Amino acid sequence: MSDIITPTEDALVEVPPPARGGGTLRYVLTKIGGGLVSLALVIVLGFLLFRVLPGDVVQSMFRGRPATPELMAEAEARLGLNKPLYEQFLDYLWRLLHGDLGESYVFNVPVTDKILERLWPTVLLVGVATLIAVGLGLWLGTRSAWRRGSRFDRISTGVALTLWSTPTFWLGMLLLAATSGLFPTAGLVYSDTPPDFLSQALDVAHHMVLPTVTLVAVIYAQYQLVMRSSLLEEMDADYLTTARAKGLRDDQVRRRHAVPNALLPTVTLVFLHLGMVIAGAVTTETVFSWPGLGLLTYDALRVRDLPLLQGTIVVLAGAVIIMNVLADVLYRVLDPRVRAS
Amino acid sequence: MTAPSPRALAWRRRGAAFAAGWRQFASQRSGLVGLGLLVVIVLLAILAPVITDQGGLDVTEATGGTMAPPDGEYPLGTDRSGRSVLLLTLWSSRVSLLVGFVATLLSIAIGTVIGILAAHYGRWVSAGLMRVTDFFLVIPSLVLAIALSTVMERGIGTIILAIGLTSWPSAARLVRAQTLTIEARPYIERSKALGGGHLHVITKHVLPAVLPLVFVNTTLAVGSAIVAESTLSFLGLGDPDPMRPSWGTMLRSAWLDSAVLAGAWWYLLPPGIAIAIVVLAFTMCGRALEAVLNPRLREG
Amino acid sequence: MRSRRVALGIALLVSALVTGPLVASPGAVAAPEAAPNAKIERANQAPTILKVGVTQEVDSLNPFISITRTGTDILRTAFDFLTVYNQEEQKPIGSLAESWETSEDKLTWTFTIRPDLRWSDGEPLTAKDVAWTFNKMLTDEVARTANGSYVAQFESVDAPDETTLVVKTKVPQATMTSLDIPIVPEHIWSKMSDISAAPEYPMVGSGPYIITEFKEAQFTKMVANNNFWRGKPKVDELHFIYYRNADAAVTALQNGEIDLVNKLTPQQFDSLKSDPNIVLNQAQNRRFDEILINPGAATADGTPIGDGNPALKDIKLREAIATAIDTKTLVERVWSGYGEEAAGYIPPMFKDFAWSPSGDQKREFSLEKANAMLDEAGYRKGPDNVRLDKEGKPLNLRLLAHAERTIDEVAGPFIKGWLADVGINVTVQPVSDTQVNEATTRGEFDLAFSGWSANPDPDYVLSLQTCANRPNAQGTGGTPDSFLCDEEYDALYTQQLQEFDRAKRIEIVKQMQEMLNEKATLVILGYENALEAYRKDSFEGFPLQPRENGVIMNQQGYWGYYGATPAGEGPVPQFNDDGTITDGGDAQTSDAAAEEDSNTGLVLAIVGGVIVVLLVGGLFVARGRRKTAEDRE
Repeated sequence: MSDIITPTEDALVEVPPPARGGGTLRYVLTKIGGGLVSLALVIVLGFLLFRVLPGDVVQSMFRGRPATPELMAEAEARLGLNKPLYEQFLDYLWRLLHGDLGESYVFNVPVTDKILERLWPTVLLVGVATLIAVGLGLWLGTRSAWRRGSRFDRISTGVALTLWSTPTFWLGMLLLAATSGLFPTAGLVYSDTPPDFLSQALDVAHHMVLPTVTLVAVIYAQYQLVMRSSLLEEMDADYLTTARAKGLRDDQVRRRHAVPNALLPTVTLVFLHLGMVIAGAVTTETVFSWPGLGLLTYDALRVRDLPLLQGTIVVLAGAVIIMNVLADVLYRVLDPRVRAS
Repeated sequence: MTAPSPRALAWRRRGAAFAAGWRQFASQRSGLVGLGLLVVIVLLAILAPVITDQGGLDVTEATGGTMAPPDGEYPLGTDRSGRSVLLLTLWSSRVSLLVGFVATLLSIAIGTVIGILAAHYGRWVSAGLMRVTDFFLVIPSLVLAIALSTVMERGIGTIILAIGLTSWPSAARLVRAQTLTIEARPYIERSKALGGGHLHVITKHVLPAVLPLVFVNTTLAVGSAIVAESTLSFLGLGDPDPMRPSWGTMLRSAWLDSAVLAGAWWYLLPPGIAIAIVVLAFTMCGRALEAVLNPRLREG
Repeated sequence: MRSRRVALGIALLVSALVTGPLVASPGAVAAPEAAPNAKIERANQAPTILKVGVTQEVDSLNPFISITRTGTDILRTAFDFLTVYNQEEQKPIGSLAESWETSEDKLTWTFTIRPDLRWSDGEPLTAKDVAWTFNKMLTDEVARTANGSYVAQFESVDAPDETTLVVKTKVPQATMTSLDIPIVPEHIWSKMSDISAAPEYPMVGSGPYIITEFKEAQFTKMVANNNFWRGKPKVDELHFIYYRNADAAVTALQNGEIDLVNKLTPQQFDSLKSDPNIVLNQAQNRRFDEILINPGAATADGTPIGDGNPALKDIKLREAIATAIDTKTLVERVWSGYGEEAAGYIPPMFKDFAWSPSGDQKREFSLEKANAMLDEAGYRKGPDNVRLDKEGKPLNLRLLAHAERTIDEVAGPFIKGWLADVGINVTVQPVSDTQVNEATTRGEFDLAFSGWSANPDPDYVLSLQTCANRPNAQGTGGTPDSFLCDEEYDALYTQQLQEFDRAKRIEIVKQMQEMLNEKATLVILGYENALEAYRKDSFEGFPLQPRENGVIMNQQGYWGYYGATPAGEGPVPQFNDDGTITDGGDAQTSDAAAEEDSNTGLVLAIVGGVIVVLLVGGLFVARGRRKTAEDRE
């Protein structure tokens, strides 16, 4: 879902500001420190959210089945719900340090197991979709910037903006309707596929087509627009004029100078907007029943499986924060301008 | 004859700047098209109670067939309860646009306040505020919005809050950057030297200079807020009142009622197309406005 | 294990990267077509597989823990019970137990277990296994998670020899021949340190199939159990495939990816009518749907709780509300006619116990009459046409609804509309299922959607309306339904529980339903049909339970899956009470009808979408053209 961030080049290019003074080490340490603070915020938020959500968990575990008060009291004690709040928080922290996110109320298994099981489908979907979207966006952005104002530029920018404007789930629904019968409409793999690796991999790839296309369609626009605008900016730069004056052909100028420089903000964007891609994964996974973390999050909310919800939110947000710190550090290492200062 | 007061002068200057801006804007066809579309859609939304009868939204009064295809009486067919899809789409624009505007105003207001404060005050306030901003910028806003709307009671207010509270960081960063640029200008220093307090500097100098950018950002953000509304509604967190449909709740009904399976394109297409058109219109307007304000981006 | 998974993930990523763009580009149409062919080839090979689409996730496959519909449906085919409800009319018959007798005081039950029973791994299945299972539940609280209530009144369980099981209870227990407890093998489970742990696969079982593989949120695989005492099923494998989205399951059925699916909506059911390869089954359901009207919730000791509108304590108001709900229209609009009109509390599927109001008891829908009743009862109309309660406050009621449940989503607006016409303002509040449950249990509602699946023995649903079933002071400890607490009703409840003459008991149960109708603390909305569909090119049919108008899936037993008959393998078996099989009795199924091509709509939809894209693209073309002219420097 391209939900909240606007598709304007300025809003999109949120390149980390170059560090003023201080060495690379200090920069890296600052970034890591910032990341740690964010992680701590996520952990506290996770706990608060989990506490603020009203509802008697124990009651909901039994509804629909006969249960005696004794049974319920037992369950309550087992879940530690009868302790004071600060004790529950300390418990939560302690267990979190040991990789224990509690036990799912609905599934009766450790949340960590549940999340690990759902992690790979999401990594696969988000990873492949991001790679394709970045590739597509870079290619289209480069072409349209180089031929600014051409029919190609106009059409590809128009299509990108249109796709960007549509809700992800609607696009998914249309795809479902349009490709009826061509592709599997749900799940990760058929249950009767032979267990050998090749068949399984092909089957997963087959199942992945529709969700990947949906996700790519909605997210590639931002990469294209940013690539286009940063390339346009580079093309106006003095050094390109110099390069041309030196007698380099346009094609060489583009490939050797403009593109590599314009690439940087776009690639950084990949990490910065990972949170957005993950948000897109929630609706995509919902529409195509893709058994990933997004679907797990939504289902946990739907049935109010609080520990599970807490776990998915902490894991999703934590992963995005870590990726961003990595992106910041990478940026520092990669950008010649920053490195030189 | 007295000389015009400084205030009048300022207004006259602003008027001239506005006129020049409008000429710039009008020279961009996509911006004009976007604006035209928006005017038409907003007018339709406002006039809906005048040109149609809200009673048609009441399921107990519905006379159409169950998910019947378009015919003379129902140009866009009917939904599951036999209501006119055309009527629903028209009325839905009211909630969708309302949520889009109000949520954006909320998010821009938060973003502006935080952005200006972060830029205006020294290191610690700035560092603290930007840390919070980065935090909100990074974590998946939709997931947070889902969580918020689940905690609160379902309704338009909740949706607005959920979107507004999670979408302000990009505005905050933009405003902060702009404020830093402005505060570096000599006249701010002069104002401070002349004894202008924080409040004076912010309201008299920084805010007016930042507002145009904020305005552009608002235009661009409304589209996003409308898409966010449709997503939250689709996930079942929208306003449940059948008399107050939105495009998102319509799509949710279409999804739950198996419109895809039944091939009820008349039920599936109108709300989605409406969203796409409105969002595009806002985007086109916003981009044109941006080109007016930011000569570097100016393409004409 | 984990590193293998990582390797798999990486390899998949790479292969998907290679195939992804290929398939995604519009030119490469060949790629997707390869797969269906491969599937057909696969289908020609043995083994025969029954692939069932389910729309509810498996919560757990631990028989002590699982409580969801899908989980119990799977476990019912994996673990046999002492007794099972028969196929014909859902009466308890022996399964692992061959026979049983009761002592004079109804406190001692002696079950005779069939001789020579074997677990799927070849170990003998004896009374010791049953005793171990029950005793485990008596001693380990975790083992009581799912079915604890059945053993709550057990005094002791003994297995004096391999075929004899003696259960002593503290009080007479009516449910002794319908203990819904899967019996587990002692030689496996006694070695487990944590009874709640996820079981190991393949799971040693005693039912017609055993569970061999479980992929969370994807599928559960079962294979035929050679040692099932009734004989090996005709089908080699049984796969339960999870679809979060019911439409996707229907598409999968159309594409031949699965063979059987249930819980269809009327729209889905109708959309399958045009498919010549699909057989539809419209079955009676054991479920009733209702609207609760909070008559003043209170705890078990009578302390008022919750925040229900006090005006609803007035039976006149409740009666008027019940009169203003048009259940006939709801059956039409909500279920598109695939349901039965409201009558009594016990669904009509249970013919003996079902009751239907007659004459004056019947509340015909009439808005005029409801208005007149309210006028008469003194509810004046205030401003905005909203009536005022006795204290002069406008009648604003909340209606709690389950989000994403079709009946609630569709019926909510209707009820709001009708009640608005009689001057009552209703706000529909859709929330998650759990929130509805919590709010209703705490009495925090005015009106609420509810519904229960009744058992062949009506005891459980009847108990929901008793005083004793109200919650304790903390709002827990009971599963109240409408918070009706009526001495007379409670007396009748106790009476029916101790009545061993079936005819007399039926009379009492009907009397109780009459009372429920009178008190108007709940309005029965109707009884939804269970809509199921299967592919007749892969399956001949399935035994239905009950035999007339019955269901294939979610049975109170294993008949449907056990008797699944692959296409071309002869008539569908019908199971007799003594465990024998009658062949030939054609499974009652409504056949495919009507041919309507729904694809035209889809094509149009796609064309529409493309047009929009082109249109908008055109706008940008126009915009760009202007730009080029001015771009030159």
